[in-house]
Amino acid sequence: MIQQRRATRLLLYAIAIVTSVIMIVPLYWMLATSFKPPGDVFASPIKWIPDPWTLANYRDVFTLLPFGRFFINSVIVTLSIVAINILFDTAAAYAFAKLRFPGRDFLFFVLLITLMVPFQVNLIPLFRIMVALHRISPYLGVNTYFGLIAPSAIQVFGIFLLRQYISSIPDDILDSARVDGASEFKILRSIVFPLAGPGIATLAIFTFLSAWNDFLWPLIVTQTDQMRTLPVGLALLARKQEINWGDTMAGTVVTAMPMIVVFLVLQRRFIEGLTRGAIK
Amino acid sequence: MPIGRGVRRRFRGSGSGYLLVLPAMLAATAFLYVPMALSAYWSFTDFNGLVPPKWVGLANYHELLTDPLFLQAARNTAVFVVLAQGIGPILGLASAVLLNNKLRLRSLFRAAYFIPVMTSLVVVATIWKMLLNSNGLVNVIFGFFHLPTTSWLNNPSTALPSVVVTSVWQGFGFETVIFLAAMQAIPREYYEAALIDGASAWGRFRHVTLPGLRRTIIFVYVIGIIQASQVFDQVFVMTQGGPIESTNTVVNELVNRFNSLQLGQASAIAYLLAVVLALVSFLQIRVFESRE
Repeated sequence: MIQQRRATRLLLYAIAIVTSVIMIVPLYWMLATSFKPPGDVFASPIKWIPDPWTLANYRDVFTLLPFGRFFINSVIVTLSIVAINILFDTAAAYAFAKLRFPGRDFLFFVLLITLMVPFQVNLIPLFRIMVALHRISPYLGVNTYFGLIAPSAIQVFGIFLLRQYISSIPDDILDSARVDGASEFKILRSIVFPLAGPGIATLAIFTFLSAWNDFLWPLIVTQTDQMRTLPVGLALLARKQEINWGDTMAGTVVTAMPMIVVFLVLQRRFIEGLTRGAIK
Repeated sequence: MPIGRGVRRRFRGSGSGYLLVLPAMLAATAFLYVPMALSAYWSFTDFNGLVPPKWVGLANYHELLTDPLFLQAARNTAVFVVLAQGIGPILGLASAVLLNNKLRLRSLFRAAYFIPVMTSLVVVATIWKMLLNSNGLVNVIFGFFHLPTTSWLNNPSTALPSVVVTSVWQGFGFETVIFLAAMQAIPREYYEAALIDGASAWGRFRHVTLPGLRRTIIFVYVIGIIQASQVFDQVFVMTQGGPIESTNTVVNELVNRFNSLQLGQASAIAYLLAVVLALVSFLQIRVFESRE
């Protein structure tokens, strides 16, 4: 009996290790290839460890190719989207959860309906709206930060999620603040924000992930390398007929690493946040 | 829906209420409602973006549903959804069961499954495009074990399955993590009771774990099918719809028609997708609820 249990556990470990290797090897191969000179990428027999190794691919990616610019664009766009969403979604969620005003439930319902509509439905009209805006001002519309950020300025899912959290804040706390003469904005800032912290963290994680990795809209709305984000810049590189795999893998590392590092550092919070959002 | 009690509270904060939802409602109007209405209208018109749209009734829908190119894309997308959703969530569930066995180094294994979820589909598609190259690592390893090798992405019969494998590899860790969290929320007493009743490991899984995961399973499949139906990034990077349209998907076809200024037809594709997704989600939830 005990021997059998032991055998089972060994088998479980074997499965866990083999599957983990299948998950890690492609990522290792990305890293290894990014340090190889061009001739060694598909060398036979294969070189598991880059020898000789080189940083030339990374130099190429930041000098010949505008990955530095892509990186800055991705950072600006992602941080803006996260900040705007935290602000707008929390404000709306608070109003929907705790304030009473005519039409409140109707407005909330109308927002929820949009969750049923896939983004592709809005894609072409959004693009044409951005073209029109660009004629009004060079800082608006296609190929601008505004164009990249604005359509993600709210997330109905985020409002829905935060409304759940804020609903659970006791009315008494809010009422006593009101009796003390606090305005709704003050209450939002000094009571709701801190108490909805876990919900806001979950929203921030979801938004960060989806904004950093977003592809279809940034692909459509950007037209020059000046404005591309990392996934778009990388995809256009990887799509070419003749691919320089060393450079491409260096670009892939630059695109993937920030997320992997953030995840490894904040692993527990990340997974808690994600599962909380999913299970709610 | 929690409605505050007491009439005296009814209009408290009306003004601030409107003010607080204003930014969200403005953004929703400009970037959700207006676009939704525009593309609904365009889907009934002949429109190239240069001259005003011309009303054609259901012609776009009719053309699409008789167009071999679009039907092929719809079929490919269906195959992708069935394969990816047939494999992904099951792998997620299996790996969650595995990790739920109090293995040492569990968080390390979990991280291994989950890291690809953090990196974008574009990143993963780029890596796998290299791995699946005819001189790539997959063929090296397959050759070592005397398994068949091919130019995976250039072969019409292996290109779509290759995109499926790439997508499953990227995404199943999300399901692992979700299922694992849901399993840990199932009360221990249920398992203990099942043990006392002499239930086997399979019996405990079948009668305790699975029922406890009901809601999570619905969630995973509803979200999963919606996302899989919109498959695009991987195709854009790895195959561009080829070879001979074998990986062309609905959204890829939509983008192609957008690029060739067939905006009416592209809008009709978007609405067809929206309607099918709404129906499928509705049916899934109904089926699951009726079993309760």
